[in-house]
Amino acid sequence: MKPAPVAYRRPESLDEALADLAELGDRARPLAGGQSLVPLLALRLAQPEVLVGLERVAELRGADLDGDRLEIRAMTREAELERSAALPPLLGAALGHVGHFQIRSRGTVGGSLAHMDPAAEWPALALLLDATLTVASARRGRRRLPAASFILGPLTTALEPDELLEAVTMARPDGRFGFAEVERRSGDFALVGAGCHRGRVVVFAAGPRPQRLPGVEAFLRDGGAPGPELQRRAHAEIEARDDLHASAAYRRQVGARLVDQVVAAAS
Amino acid sequence: MICRLTVNGTPWEGDVPPRLTLADLLRDHLQLTGTHLGCEQGVCGACTVLCDGEAVRSCLMLAVQADGRSLTTVEGLDADPDAAALRDALVAGRGLQCGFCTPGFLLSALALRRADPPVDPARVPELLAGNICRCTGYGPIVAAVRAWLG
Ligand SMILES: Cc1cc2nc3c(=O)[nH]c(=O)nc-3n(C[C@H](O)[C@H](O)[C@H](O)COP(=O)(O)OP(=O)(O)OC[C@H]3O[C@@H](n4cnc5c(N)ncnc54)[C@H](O)[C@@H]3O)c2cc1C
Ligand code: FES
Ligand code: FES
Repeated sequence: MKPAPVAYRRPESLDEALADLAELGDRARPLAGGQSLVPLLALRLAQPEVLVGLERVAELRGADLDGDRLEIRAMTREAELERSAALPPLLGAALGHVGHFQIRSRGTVGGSLAHMDPAAEWPALALLLDATLTVASARRGRRRLPAASFILGPLTTALEPDELLEAVTMARPDGRFGFAEVERRSGDFALVGAGCHRGRVVVFAAGPRPQRLPGVEAFLRDGGAPGPELQRRAHAEIEARDDLHASAAYRRQVGARLVDQVVAAAS
Repeated sequence: MICRLTVNGTPWEGDVPPRLTLADLLRDHLQLTGTHLGCEQGVCGACTVLCDGEAVRSCLMLAVQADGRSLTTVEGLDADPDAAALRDALVAGRGLQCGFCTPGFLLSALALRRADPPVDPARVPELLAGNICRCTGYGPIVAAVRAWLG
């Protein structure tokens, strides 16, 4: 199908973009790389009156990857990050799983976080790395949210219709890590995935949103190691859903194995 | 909305409705029907074109988003020696039957060949997973692209 008629605005600055959203409210939708929104428009699952194209907003472009704190602005494309020599290996490992390379040429970090597909890698990374999301609006200024408060549920975040995600910041991930997922073909959304870094453990694509596993983390703090007991605890803790791609039981079982693998890789 | 592009080296300017996808602009307004549409939701890769040298899905880009960009479609590869070598390799290795997927594979493979840093030929099966072929079973395409990448 083809998208329904829609108007297009192309703000040249962040203030202009925020003013457009303040004026239009939920009649407008920001458009980043379009790799999720354009299919929704074509299927007419989204029918905004106005698209606010963010491609000219300079303040949303680029990433600072050199210091101890990383800042990735919303319109940074995944392909740009992949080409950067300063990209930490954990982010590189996860990025390779985000769609196909032709999707990563256009898809942005901000679009992926704002879209909040439960199977997407970026929300899971944000939770794993305890990232802070900076969100801006014309009326209320800026607010900074930890990933755990930004991510609410499937296709749902703390963003209000007049807000834009500006950037995501996090301490540079270093040292050992694990990141693994099971997908049908390379580039497909994960059926279930897991990550581990500095004692934090996250499972994604299993339930409605990426999930930390505090029970498994406590087990590790108390000296627990990969093996049947860790898998049993992960299995009991993972929130999983059924859908046409996989059953909840499959996701829990495979998820527990992946948790074991990523913990082993990170320790 | 006014949109200015360069398509296969030739500047183009026109007034396009914002809902028009780049694929539909190329096919229906510029008559460049070598860009094929399979799924129109980013999954099959048949519509892949180069945008400022990078492989993109033309079904997932609005024409207005391509304003100011330089595009290459399969029609723009006639004088390209790399593309000619790949076409020959695909033909010799039986890497196509109906040919519906071929423009997407050609442009995806060209983007891989020109990638910086260069791609490891061992990753070709994984990297070509974003292009669907219903005829060949992939083996001949993967073999031809891998050999051509060297
Ligand atoms: C075939 C295919 C396979 C894919 N596989 C994967 C995968 O395996 N893993 C994965 O993670 N993703 C996958 N994706 C999705 C892809 O990563 C998308 O690019 C991403 O989800 C959205 O980013 P975008 O820049 O394209 O955003 P858009 O599609 O432009 O926007 C997505 C949503 O975010 C909103 N938005 C965008 N930017 C902002 C902002 N700065 N502030 C507020 N709201 C904003 C938009 O209004 C829209 O609601 C796949 C996509 C396709 C087509
Ligand atoms: S038509 Fe664009 S990816 Fe299938
Ligand atoms: S040759 Fe027919 S789809 Fe690939």
